[in-house]
Amino acid sequence: MKKLSKKTLNKSFRNWYYGHLTCFSQEHMQTFGYLCAMLPIIEELYDTKEEQKEALETYKAFFNTEPQLGTVIVGVTVGLEEAKANGEGVTGDTINGLRAGLMGPIAGIGDSLVVGVLIPLLLGIALGLSTDGSPVGAIFYIIAWNLIVTLGMRMLYFKGYEFGGKAVEFLTGDKAMALRESIMMLGSMVIGAVAASWVSVNTVFKMINAETGEAFLDLNAQINSVLPKGLTAAFVLFCWYMIAKKKMSPIKVMLLLVVIAFVGVLIGFFDPQLAY
Amino acid sequence: MTINVFQAGLLGLFACLASMPGMGGSAIGNYTLGRPLVAGLVVGIILGDVRTGILVGAAMQLLYIALVTPGGTVSADVRAVSYIGIPLAMLALKSYGLDAASADGNGLATSFGAMVGTLGTVLFYGTATMNLIWQHIGWEAIEKGEFKKLYLVDMGLPWISHIVCSFLPTFIICLAGAGMVDTIKAVLPMDGLAMKTIFTVGSLLPCVGIAILLKQIILKGVDFIPFFVGFALAAALNINLVVATIIAAMFAYMNYQIKCAQLIRVKVPSQDIEDEEEDI
Repeated sequence: MKKLSKKTLNKSFRNWYYGHLTCFSQEHMQTFGYLCAMLPIIEELYDTKEEQKEALETYKAFFNTEPQLGTVIVGVTVGLEEAKANGEGVTGDTINGLRAGLMGPIAGIGDSLVVGVLIPLLLGIALGLSTDGSPVGAIFYIIAWNLIVTLGMRMLYFKGYEFGGKAVEFLTGDKAMALRESIMMLGSMVIGAVAASWVSVNTVFKMINAETGEAFLDLNAQINSVLPKGLTAAFVLFCWYMIAKKKMSPIKVMLLLVVIAFVGVLIGFFDPQLAY
Repeated sequence: MTINVFQAGLLGLFACLASMPGMGGSAIGNYTLGRPLVAGLVVGIILGDVRTGILVGAAMQLLYIALVTPGGTVSADVRAVSYIGIPLAMLALKSYGLDAASADGNGLATSFGAMVGTLGTVLFYGTATMNLIWQHIGWEAIEKGEFKKLYLVDMGLPWISHIVCSFLPTFIICLAGAGMVDTIKAVLPMDGLAMKTIFTVGSLLPCVGIAILLKQIILKGVDFIPFFVGFALAAALNINLVVATIIAAMFAYMNYQIKCAQLIRVKVPSQDIEDEEEDI
Protein backbone atom coordinates (compact mmCIF):
# COMPACT_ATOMS: atom_id res chain seq x y z
CA MET A 1 0.00 0.00 0.00
CA LYS A 2 1.64 3.22 -1.19
CA LYS A 3 1.09 6.32 0.87
CA LEU A 4 2.37 9.74 -0.19
CA SER A 5 4.65 11.43 2.29
CA LYS A 6 3.80 14.85 3.73
CA LYS A 7 7.00 16.23 2.21
CA THR A 8 6.02 15.21 -1.31
CA LEU A 9 2.51 16.63 -0.89
CA ASN A 10 3.97 19.92 0.29
CA LYS A 11 6.31 20.03 -2.69
CA SER A 12 3.48 19.30 -5.10
CA PHE A 13 1.36 22.05 -3.49
CA ARG A 14 4.21 24.57 -3.70
CA ASN A 15 4.74 23.78 -7.38
CA TRP A 16 1.06 24.44 -8.09
CA TYR A 17 0.88 27.51 -5.84
CA TYR A 18 3.76 29.17 -7.64
CA GLY A 19 3.88 27.63 -11.08
CA HIS A 20 0.27 27.27 -12.27
CA LEU A 21 0.47 30.18 -14.70
CA THR A 22 4.18 30.89 -15.15
CA CYS A 23 4.38 29.06 -18.50
CA PHE A 24 1.03 30.18 -19.89
CA SER A 25 0.18 30.00 -23.57
CA GLN A 26 -3.14 30.23 -25.36
CA GLU A 27 -2.77 26.62 -26.44
CA HIS A 28 -1.92 25.02 -23.08
CA MET A 29 -2.92 27.42 -20.36
CA GLN A 30 -2.20 25.74 -17.02
CA THR A 31 -1.07 22.36 -18.37
CA PHE A 32 2.59 22.79 -17.46
CA GLY A 33 1.77 24.06 -13.99
CA TYR A 34 -0.31 20.95 -13.52
CA LEU A 35 2.48 18.69 -14.78
CA CYS A 36 4.91 20.29 -12.31
CA ALA A 37 2.44 19.79 -9.46
CA MET A 38 2.00 16.10 -10.34
CA LEU A 39 5.66 15.29 -11.00
CA PRO A 40 6.79 14.85 -7.36
CA ILE A 41 3.70 12.71 -6.72
CA ILE A 42 4.31 10.49 -9.73
CA GLU A 43 8.02 10.12 -8.97
CA GLU A 44 7.19 8.88 -5.50
CA LEU A 45 4.37 6.54 -6.53
CA TYR A 46 6.01 4.85 -9.50
CA ASP A 47 9.50 3.41 -9.60
CA THR A 48 10.36 2.91 -13.26
CA LYS A 49 10.74 5.62 -15.90
CA GLU A 50 8.17 3.85 -18.11
CA GLU A 51 5.51 3.86 -15.41
CA GLN A 52 6.24 7.48 -14.59
CA LYS A 53 5.96 8.49 -18.22
CA GLU A 54 2.69 6.64 -18.60
CA ALA A 55 1.29 8.33 -15.50
CA LEU A 56 2.38 11.76 -16.75
CA GLU A 57 0.47 11.14 -20.02
CA THR A 58 -2.78 11.74 -18.10
CA TYR A 59 -1.78 15.28 -17.22
CA LYS A 60 -0.64 16.28 -20.69
CA ALA A 61 -4.25 17.14 -21.53
CA PHE A 62 -5.31 20.80 -21.68
CA PHE A 63 -6.12 22.32 -18.32
CA ASN A 64 -7.43 25.73 -17.32
CA THR A 65 -9.55 26.89 -14.41
CA GLU A 66 -9.61 29.60 -11.76
CA PRO A 67 -6.23 28.68 -10.21
CA GLN A 68 -6.97 29.60 -6.59
CA LEU A 69 -10.17 27.61 -6.15
CA GLY A 70 -8.90 25.13 -8.74
CA THR A 71 -6.33 23.93 -6.19
CA VAL A 72 -9.05 21.57 -4.95
CA ILE A 73 -8.98 19.77 -8.32
CA VAL A 74 -5.22 19.23 -7.99
CA GLY A 75 -5.74 17.85 -4.48
CA VAL A 76 -8.47 15.48 -5.65
CA THR A 77 -6.39 14.15 -8.55
CA VAL A 78 -3.41 13.58 -6.25
CA GLY A 79 -5.68 11.41 -4.10
CA LEU A 80 -6.93 9.55 -7.16
CA GLU A 81 -3.41 9.03 -8.52
CA GLU A 82 -2.49 7.44 -5.21
CA ALA A 83 -5.52 5.17 -5.46
CA LYS A 84 -4.54 4.31 -9.03
CA ALA A 85 -1.01 3.37 -7.98
CA ASN A 86 -2.50 1.09 -5.35
CA GLY A 87 -4.62 -0.64 -7.98
CA GLU A 88 -7.97 0.52 -6.62
CA GLY A 89 -9.67 0.49 -10.01
CA VAL A 90 -8.94 4.11 -10.93
CA THR A 91 -7.61 4.68 -14.46
CA GLY A 92 -5.96 7.64 -16.15
CA ASP A 93 -9.15 8.17 -18.14
CA THR A 94 -11.22 8.41 -14.94
CA ILE A 95 -8.88 11.09 -13.62
CA ASN A 96 -8.89 13.04 -16.86
CA GLY A 97 -12.67 12.84 -17.18
CA LEU A 98 -13.01 14.23 -13.66
CA ARG A 99 -10.48 16.98 -14.34
CA ALA A 100 -12.16 18.04 -17.57
CA GLY A 101 -15.59 17.96 -15.95
CA LEU A 102 -14.55 20.02 -12.94
CA MET A 103 -12.49 22.80 -14.47
CA GLY A 104 -15.52 24.57 -15.99
CA PRO A 105 -17.78 24.75 -12.90
CA ILE A 106 -14.86 25.54 -10.57
CA ALA A 107 -13.73 28.34 -12.90
CA GLY A 108 -17.25 29.79 -12.81
CA ILE A 109 -17.46 29.74 -9.01
CA GLY A 110 -13.85 30.92 -8.59
CA ASP A 111 -14.18 33.83 -11.02
CA SER A 112 -17.29 35.14 -9.30
CA LEU A 113 -16.14 34.57 -5.70
CA VAL A 114 -12.38 35.17 -5.74
CA VAL A 115 -11.96 37.67 -8.56
CA GLY A 116 -15.49 39.08 -8.50
CA VAL A 117 -16.05 39.53 -4.76
CA LEU A 118 -13.02 38.79 -2.53
CA ILE A 119 -10.41 40.85 -4.39
CA PRO A 120 -12.67 43.90 -5.02
CA LEU A 121 -13.83 43.75 -1.40
CA LEU A 122 -10.26 43.77 -0.05
CA LEU A 123 -9.25 46.43 -2.57
CA GLY A 124 -12.30 48.52 -1.71
CA ILE A 125 -11.34 48.51 1.97
CA ALA A 126 -7.69 49.15 1.05
CA LEU A 127 -8.66 52.13 -1.13
CA GLY A 128 -10.54 53.60 1.82
CA LEU A 129 -7.44 53.27 3.99
CA SER A 130 -5.24 54.93 1.36
CA THR A 131 -7.46 57.92 0.60
CA ASP A 132 -4.89 60.49 1.65
CA GLY A 133 -2.00 58.72 -0.06
CA SER A 134 -1.02 56.71 2.98
CA PRO A 135 0.58 53.28 2.34
CA VAL A 136 -1.59 51.60 5.02
CA GLY A 137 -4.24 50.48 2.52
CA ALA A 138 -1.74 48.86 0.16
CA ILE A 139 -0.01 47.10 3.07
CA PHE A 140 -3.38 45.93 4.40
CA TYR A 141 -4.21 44.43 0.99
CA ILE A 142 -0.83 42.69 0.67
CA ILE A 143 -1.17 41.02 4.08
CA ALA A 144 -4.91 40.22 3.99
CA TRP A 145 -4.97 38.82 0.45
CA ASN A 146 -1.85 36.68 0.78
CA LEU A 147 -2.92 35.31 4.13
CA ILE A 148 -6.39 34.36 2.90
CA VAL A 149 -5.26 32.98 -0.44
CA THR A 150 -2.27 30.99 0.83
CA LEU A 151 -4.12 29.39 3.74
CA GLY A 152 -7.20 28.90 1.54
CA MET A 153 -5.28 27.17 -1.24
CA ARG A 154 -3.44 24.95 1.26
CA MET A 155 -6.72 23.93 2.80
CA LEU A 156 -8.31 23.21 -0.59
CA TYR A 157 -5.34 21.10 -1.67
CA PHE A 158 -5.18 18.95 1.43
CA LYS A 159 -8.98 18.64 1.83
CA GLY A 160 -9.18 17.69 -1.83
CA TYR A 161 -6.54 15.01 -1.30
CA GLU A 162 -8.21 13.75 1.85
CA PHE A 163 -11.86 13.71 0.80
CA GLY A 164 -11.60 13.22 -2.97
CA GLY A 165 -14.91 13.71 -4.76
CA LYS A 166 -16.68 14.70 -1.52
CA ALA A 167 -14.62 17.90 -1.36
CA VAL A 168 -16.02 18.94 -4.73
CA GLU A 169 -19.55 18.11 -3.64
CA PHE A 170 -19.01 20.35 -0.64
CA LEU A 171 -18.04 23.24 -2.92
CA THR A 172 -20.96 22.82 -5.29
CA GLY A 173 -23.60 21.55 -2.83
CA ASP A 174 -26.81 23.31 -1.69
CA LYS A 175 -25.38 24.99 1.40
CA ALA A 176 -22.35 26.18 -0.53
CA MET A 177 -24.70 27.68 -3.12
CA ALA A 178 -26.61 29.54 -0.39
CA LEU A 179 -23.31 30.80 0.99
CA ARG A 180 -22.13 31.82 -2.46
CA GLU A 181 -25.33 33.74 -3.12
CA SER A 182 -25.00 35.54 0.23
CA ILE A 183 -21.38 36.43 -0.44
CA MET A 184 -22.35 37.82 -3.82
CA MET A 185 -25.00 39.94 -2.11
CA LEU A 186 -22.34 41.28 0.26
CA GLY A 187 -20.16 41.86 -2.78
CA SER A 188 -22.73 43.93 -4.64
CA MET A 189 -23.38 46.11 -1.59
CA VAL A 190 -19.67 46.74 -1.17
CA ILE A 191 -19.29 47.49 -4.89
CA GLY A 192 -22.13 50.00 -4.56
CA ALA A 193 -20.28 51.68 -1.72
CA VAL A 194 -17.01 51.57 -3.71
CA ALA A 195 -18.74 53.22 -6.69
CA ALA A 196 -20.24 55.97 -4.55
CA SER A 197 -17.01 56.63 -2.64
CA TRP A 198 -14.56 56.48 -5.52
CA VAL A 199 -16.28 57.40 -8.77
CA SER A 200 -17.43 60.92 -9.38
CA VAL A 201 -19.14 62.14 -12.54
CA ASN A 202 -20.31 65.73 -12.53
CA THR A 203 -21.78 68.13 -15.06
CA VAL A 204 -21.29 71.89 -15.24
CA PHE A 205 -24.52 72.36 -17.21
CA LYS A 206 -26.39 75.43 -15.99
CA MET A 207 -29.25 77.51 -17.40
CA ILE A 208 -28.61 81.16 -16.78
CA ASN A 209 -31.20 83.91 -16.66
CA ALA A 210 -30.11 86.35 -19.36
CA GLU A 211 -31.23 89.45 -17.41
CA THR A 212 -29.91 88.84 -13.93
CA GLY A 213 -27.04 86.51 -14.88
CA GLU A 214 -28.09 84.08 -12.15
CA ALA A 215 -28.39 80.38 -12.74
CA PHE A 216 -31.97 79.20 -12.40
CA LEU A 217 -31.11 75.59 -13.20
CA ASP A 218 -27.97 73.94 -11.89
CA LEU A 219 -28.30 70.43 -13.28
CA ASN A 220 -25.65 68.84 -11.05
CA ALA A 221 -27.26 70.20 -7.88
CA GLN A 222 -30.71 69.16 -9.11
CA ILE A 223 -29.60 65.58 -9.74
CA ASN A 224 -27.83 65.36 -6.39
CA SER A 225 -30.94 66.56 -4.56
CA VAL A 226 -32.85 63.60 -6.02
CA LEU A 227 -30.11 60.99 -5.55
CA PRO A 228 -26.70 62.03 -4.29
CA LYS A 229 -24.16 61.17 -6.99
CA GLY A 230 -27.05 60.36 -9.32
CA LEU A 231 -25.06 61.09 -12.47
CA THR A 232 -22.36 58.63 -11.38
CA ALA A 233 -25.02 55.95 -10.84
CA ALA A 234 -26.51 56.71 -14.27
CA PHE A 235 -23.15 56.26 -16.00
CA VAL A 236 -22.43 53.01 -14.14
CA LEU A 237 -25.86 51.69 -15.20
CA PHE A 238 -25.23 52.81 -18.78
CA CYS A 239 -21.89 50.95 -18.91
CA TRP A 240 -23.43 47.87 -17.31
CA TYR A 241 -26.26 47.95 -19.88
CA MET A 242 -23.80 48.20 -22.75
CA ILE A 243 -21.56 45.38 -21.47
CA ALA A 244 -24.12 42.96 -20.03
CA LYS A 245 -27.15 43.55 -22.25
CA LYS A 246 -25.67 44.82 -25.52
CA LYS A 247 -22.68 42.42 -25.25
CA MET A 248 -20.25 45.21 -26.02
CA SER A 249 -16.61 44.56 -25.09
CA PRO A 250 -15.18 46.75 -22.28
CA ILE A 251 -12.66 48.26 -24.72
CA LYS A 252 -15.49 49.40 -27.02
CA VAL A 253 -17.40 50.88 -24.10
CA MET A 254 -14.25 52.80 -23.14
CA LEU A 255 -14.01 54.17 -26.67
CA LEU A 256 -17.70 55.09 -26.55
CA LEU A 257 -17.00 57.03 -23.35
CA VAL A 258 -14.20 58.90 -25.14
CA VAL A 259 -16.74 59.98 -27.77
CA ILE A 260 -19.29 60.95 -25.09
CA ALA A 261 -16.63 62.93 -23.21
CA PHE A 262 -15.53 64.71 -26.39
CA VAL A 263 -19.09 65.69 -27.36
CA GLY A 264 -19.85 66.59 -23.75
CA VAL A 265 -16.87 68.92 -23.55
CA LEU A 266 -17.77 70.45 -26.93
CA ILE A 267 -21.34 71.36 -25.90
CA GLY A 268 -20.29 72.45 -22.42
CA PHE A 269 -21.87 69.56 -20.49
CA PHE A 270 -18.52 68.48 -19.08
CA ASP A 271 -15.73 70.84 -18.10
CA PRO A 272 -12.98 69.75 -15.73
CA GLN A 273 -12.11 73.48 -15.35
CA LEU A 274 -8.38 73.18 -15.74
CA ALA A 275 -5.73 75.82 -15.96
CA TYR A 276 -1.99 75.98 -15.55
CA MET B 1 11.29 64.44 -11.62
CA THR B 2 13.16 61.94 -13.81
CA ILE B 3 13.64 58.19 -13.92
CA ASN B 4 17.22 56.92 -14.02
CA VAL B 5 18.54 53.66 -15.49
CA PHE B 6 18.56 51.85 -12.16
CA GLN B 7 14.98 52.87 -11.36
CA ALA B 8 13.77 51.91 -14.85
CA GLY B 9 15.47 48.52 -14.43
CA LEU B 10 13.69 47.89 -11.12
CA LEU B 11 10.35 48.86 -12.68
CA GLY B 12 11.08 46.40 -15.50
CA LEU B 13 11.82 43.61 -13.02
CA PHE B 14 8.55 44.20 -11.18
CA ALA B 15 6.71 44.17 -14.52
CA CYS B 16 8.11 40.65 -15.10
CA LEU B 17 6.88 39.50 -11.69
CA ALA B 18 3.47 41.15 -11.83
CA SER B 19 2.08 40.37 -15.27
CA MET B 20 -0.73 37.94 -15.91
CA PRO B 21 1.24 34.81 -16.81
CA GLY B 22 3.92 36.35 -14.59
CA MET B 23 7.05 35.13 -12.85
CA GLY B 24 5.79 35.99 -9.35
CA GLY B 25 3.07 33.31 -9.51
CA SER B 26 -0.51 34.54 -9.67
CA ALA B 27 -1.12 34.97 -5.92
CA ILE B 28 1.98 37.03 -5.13
CA GLY B 29 2.62 38.31 -8.65
CA ASN B 30 -0.50 39.22 -10.56
CA TYR B 31 -2.95 39.48 -7.67
CA THR B 32 -0.60 41.30 -5.28
CA LEU B 33 2.22 43.13 -7.09
CA GLY B 34 0.05 43.57 -10.18
CA ARG B 35 -2.78 45.42 -8.42
CA PRO B 36 -2.31 49.11 -9.23
CA LEU B 37 -2.77 50.09 -5.56
CA VAL B 38 0.10 47.84 -4.45
CA ALA B 39 2.11 48.86 -7.51
CA GLY B 40 1.53 52.48 -6.46
CA LEU B 41 3.37 51.69 -3.23
CA VAL B 42 6.18 49.86 -5.03
CA VAL B 43 6.62 52.53 -7.71
CA GLY B 44 6.35 55.22 -5.06
CA ILE B 45 9.21 53.63 -3.12
CA ILE B 46 11.34 53.20 -6.28
CA LEU B 47 10.79 56.79 -7.42
CA GLY B 48 10.97 58.24 -3.93
CA ASP B 49 7.45 59.67 -3.65
CA VAL B 50 5.17 57.19 -1.87
CA ARG B 51 2.26 59.60 -1.44
CA THR B 52 1.92 60.41 -5.13
CA GLY B 53 2.51 56.77 -6.05
CA ILE B 54 -0.31 55.58 -3.80
CA LEU B 55 -2.72 58.28 -4.99
CA VAL B 56 -2.04 57.52 -8.66
CA GLY B 57 -2.23 53.77 -7.97
CA ALA B 58 -5.55 54.18 -6.16
CA ALA B 59 -7.04 56.16 -9.07
CA MET B 60 -5.97 53.47 -11.56
CA GLN B 61 -7.03 50.65 -9.25
CA LEU B 62 -10.63 51.73 -9.55
CA LEU B 63 -10.55 51.35 -13.31
CA TYR B 64 -9.13 47.84 -12.98
CA ILE B 65 -10.88 46.79 -9.77
CA ALA B 66 -12.69 44.03 -11.60
CA LEU B 67 -10.11 42.59 -13.91
CA VAL B 68 -11.70 39.19 -14.43
CA THR B 69 -9.96 37.15 -17.09
CA PRO B 70 -12.31 34.31 -17.99
CA GLY B 71 -10.61 31.69 -20.16
CA GLY B 72 -7.47 33.76 -20.62
CA THR B 73 -9.17 36.50 -22.61
CA VAL B 74 -7.43 39.51 -21.20
CA SER B 75 -9.00 42.91 -21.74
CA ALA B 76 -6.10 44.80 -20.22
CA ASP B 77 -2.90 43.42 -18.77
CA VAL B 78 -1.86 44.97 -15.47
CA ARG B 79 1.92 44.92 -15.95
CA ALA B 80 1.68 47.90 -18.30
CA VAL B 81 -0.89 49.76 -16.20
CA SER B 82 1.03 49.26 -13.01
CA TYR B 83 4.67 49.61 -14.01
CA ILE B 84 4.46 51.84 -17.10
CA GLY B 85 1.21 53.75 -16.46
CA ILE B 86 1.88 54.71 -12.84
CA PRO B 87 5.44 56.04 -13.37
CA LEU B 88 4.37 58.01 -16.46
CA ALA B 89 1.29 59.43 -14.73
CA MET B 90 3.48 60.47 -11.77
CA LEU B 91 5.85 62.24 -14.15
CA ALA B 92 2.93 63.93 -15.91
CA LEU B 93 1.42 65.12 -12.63
CA LYS B 94 4.74 66.63 -11.53
CA SER B 95 5.25 68.17 -14.92
CA TYR B 96 1.78 69.77 -14.96
CA GLY B 97 2.11 70.75 -11.32
CA LEU B 98 -1.11 68.95 -10.39
CA ASP B 99 -1.75 67.48 -6.96
CA ALA B 100 -2.40 63.73 -7.18
CA ALA B 101 -5.11 64.04 -4.54
CA SER B 102 -7.18 66.51 -6.58
CA ALA B 103 -10.00 65.43 -8.90
CA ASP B 104 -7.97 66.59 -11.91
CA GLY B 105 -4.96 64.58 -10.77
CA ASN B 106 -7.20 61.52 -10.46
CA GLY B 107 -8.62 62.07 -13.91
CA LEU B 108 -5.18 62.34 -15.49
CA ALA B 109 -3.97 59.19 -13.70
CA THR B 110 -7.01 57.17 -14.80
CA SER B 111 -6.64 58.28 -18.43
CA PHE B 112 -2.99 57.21 -18.44
CA GLY B 113 -4.04 53.86 -16.97
CA ALA B 114 -6.54 53.26 -19.77
CA MET B 115 -4.09 54.35 -22.47
CA VAL B 116 -1.28 51.96 -21.41
CA GLY B 117 -3.80 49.20 -20.66
CA THR B 118 -4.14 48.68 -24.39
CA LEU B 119 -0.36 48.30 -24.68
CA GLY B 120 -0.57 45.65 -21.95
CA THR B 121 -2.85 43.52 -24.10
CA VAL B 122 -0.19 43.43 -26.84
CA LEU B 123 2.49 42.46 -24.30
CA PHE B 124 0.25 39.73 -22.89
CA TYR B 125 -0.23 38.05 -26.26
CA GLY B 126 3.49 38.41 -26.97
CA THR B 127 4.41 36.58 -23.75
CA ALA B 128 1.83 33.83 -24.24
CA THR B 129 2.97 33.23 -27.82
CA MET B 130 6.64 33.07 -26.88
CA ASN B 131 5.86 30.54 -24.14
CA LEU B 132 4.80 28.13 -26.89
CA ILE B 133 8.50 27.65 -27.69
CA TRP B 134 9.27 26.56 -24.10
CA GLN B 135 6.23 24.31 -24.02
CA HIS B 136 7.51 22.63 -27.17
CA ILE B 137 10.80 21.94 -25.38
CA GLY B 138 8.72 20.55 -22.51
CA TRP B 139 6.87 18.02 -24.67
CA GLU B 140 10.16 16.77 -26.08
CA ALA B 141 11.61 16.43 -22.58
CA ILE B 142 8.70 14.24 -21.52
CA GLU B 143 9.15 12.04 -24.59
CA LYS B 144 12.82 11.58 -23.73
CA GLY B 145 11.99 10.88 -20.10
CA GLU B 146 13.83 13.96 -18.80
CA PHE B 147 11.05 14.85 -16.40
CA LYS B 148 13.07 17.26 -14.24
CA LYS B 149 13.31 19.53 -17.25
CA LEU B 150 9.61 20.33 -16.73
CA TYR B 151 10.56 22.62 -13.83
CA LEU B 152 12.91 24.54 -16.09
CA VAL B 153 10.21 24.82 -18.74
CA ASP B 154 7.50 25.95 -16.32
CA MET B 155 9.49 28.23 -14.00
CA GLY B 156 12.79 29.07 -15.71
CA LEU B 157 12.53 29.59 -19.45
CA PRO B 158 9.45 31.89 -19.39
CA TRP B 159 11.82 34.49 -17.87
CA ILE B 160 13.12 34.94 -21.42
CA SER B 161 9.60 35.75 -22.67
CA HIS B 162 9.34 38.29 -19.89
CA ILE B 163 12.69 39.93 -20.55
CA VAL B 164 11.48 40.56 -24.10
CA CYS B 165 7.83 41.38 -23.43
CA SER B 166 7.85 42.88 -19.93
CA PHE B 167 11.30 44.09 -18.94
CA LEU B 168 12.43 45.81 -22.13
CA PRO B 169 9.18 47.70 -22.95
CA THR B 170 8.92 48.93 -19.35
CA PHE B 171 12.60 49.85 -19.17
CA ILE B 172 12.60 51.78 -22.45
CA ILE B 173 9.29 53.61 -22.00
CA CYS B 174 10.04 54.60 -18.39
CA LEU B 175 13.51 55.81 -19.32
CA ALA B 176 12.09 57.90 -22.16
CA GLY B 177 9.16 58.88 -19.94
CA ALA B 178 10.19 62.37 -18.90
CA GLY B 179 10.84 63.39 -22.50
CA MET B 180 7.55 61.89 -23.66
CA VAL B 181 5.58 63.71 -21.00
CA ASP B 182 7.23 67.01 -21.97
CA THR B 183 6.30 66.45 -25.60
CA ILE B 184 2.69 65.71 -24.68
CA LYS B 185 2.66 68.85 -22.57
CA ALA B 186 3.92 71.01 -25.43
CA VAL B 187 1.47 69.58 -27.94
CA LEU B 188 -1.58 69.50 -25.69
CA PRO B 189 -2.26 72.62 -23.63
CA MET B 190 -4.19 72.14 -20.40
CA ASP B 191 -7.26 74.20 -21.27
CA GLY B 192 -7.46 72.83 -24.83
CA LEU B 193 -10.23 70.55 -26.03
CA ALA B 194 -7.98 67.44 -26.07
CA MET B 195 -6.88 67.78 -22.45
CA LYS B 196 -10.41 68.58 -21.26
CA THR B 197 -11.59 65.44 -23.02
CA ILE B 198 -8.81 63.32 -21.49
CA PHE B 199 -9.68 64.50 -17.99
CA THR B 200 -13.40 63.96 -18.56
CA VAL B 201 -12.74 60.46 -19.90
CA GLY B 202 -10.66 59.86 -16.79
CA SER B 203 -13.61 60.56 -14.55
CA LEU B 204 -15.97 58.41 -16.67
CA LEU B 205 -13.70 55.35 -17.11
CA PRO B 206 -14.02 53.89 -13.59
CA CYS B 207 -17.71 53.36 -14.40
CA VAL B 208 -16.56 50.66 -16.85
CA GLY B 209 -14.59 48.89 -14.10
CA ILE B 210 -17.62 48.88 -11.82
CA ALA B 211 -19.85 47.74 -14.72
CA ILE B 212 -17.57 44.76 -15.50
CA LEU B 213 -17.87 43.71 -11.88
CA LEU B 214 -21.64 44.18 -11.87
CA LYS B 215 -21.89 41.92 -14.90
CA GLN B 216 -20.28 39.18 -12.78
CA ILE B 217 -22.52 39.50 -9.76
CA ILE B 218 -25.83 40.83 -11.10
CA LEU B 219 -27.78 37.92 -12.51
CA LYS B 220 -31.27 39.42 -12.41
CA GLY B 221 -32.82 42.89 -11.99
CA VAL B 222 -33.48 42.66 -8.25
CA ASP B 223 -29.76 42.06 -7.65
CA PHE B 224 -29.41 45.79 -8.20
CA ILE B 225 -31.11 46.45 -4.85
CA PRO B 226 -28.10 45.51 -2.69
CA PHE B 227 -25.88 47.48 -5.07
CA PHE B 228 -27.98 50.61 -4.58
CA VAL B 229 -28.23 50.06 -0.83
CA GLY B 230 -24.44 50.12 -0.74
CA PHE B 231 -24.37 53.11 -3.09
CA ALA B 232 -26.85 55.02 -0.93
CA LEU B 233 -24.96 54.20 2.28
CA ALA B 234 -21.82 55.78 0.89
CA ALA B 235 -23.29 58.56 -1.28
CA ALA B 236 -26.08 59.84 0.98
CA LEU B 237 -24.95 58.82 4.45
CA ASN B 238 -21.19 59.16 3.83
CA ILE B 239 -20.51 55.81 5.44
CA ASN B 240 -16.99 54.53 4.84
CA LEU B 241 -16.17 51.21 3.21
CA VAL B 242 -15.28 49.25 6.33
CA VAL B 243 -18.57 50.20 8.00
CA ALA B 244 -20.46 49.55 4.75
CA THR B 245 -18.86 46.07 4.62
CA ILE B 246 -19.99 45.34 8.19
CA ILE B 247 -23.56 46.37 7.37
CA ALA B 248 -23.41 44.32 4.16
CA ALA B 249 -22.13 41.31 6.15
CA MET B 250 -25.23 41.51 8.38
CA PHE B 251 -27.55 41.38 5.35
CA ALA B 252 -25.53 38.56 3.80
CA TYR B 253 -25.71 36.61 7.07
CA MET B 254 -29.51 37.01 7.23
CA ASN B 255 -29.78 35.95 3.59
CA TYR B 256 -27.72 32.85 4.31
CA GLN B 257 -29.89 31.91 7.29
CA ILE B 258 -33.06 32.31 5.19
CA LYS B 259 -31.63 30.23 2.33
CA CYS B 260 -30.58 27.48 4.74
CA ALA B 261 -34.03 27.51 6.38
CA GLN B 262 -35.55 27.13 2.92
CA LEU B 263 -33.34 24.12 2.22
CA ILE B 264 -34.69 22.40 5.35
CA ARG B 265 -38.30 23.30 4.53
CA VAL B 266 -38.02 21.83 1.06
CA LYS B 267 -36.98 18.52 2.55
CA VAL B 268 -39.70 18.24 5.23
CA PRO B 269 -42.87 17.98 3.03
CA SER B 270 -41.36 15.24 0.88
CA GLN B 271 -40.76 13.30 4.09
CA ASP B 272 -44.45 13.72 5.06
CA ILE B 273 -45.69 12.41 1.73
CA GLU B 274 -43.58 9.30 2.09
CA ASP B 275 -44.93 8.71 5.57
CA GLU B 276 -48.53 8.99 4.34
CA GLU B 277 -47.86 6.52 1.60
CA GLU B 278 -46.57 4.06 4.13
CA ASP B 279 -49.72 4.46 6.20
CA ILE B 280 -51.88 3.56 3.25
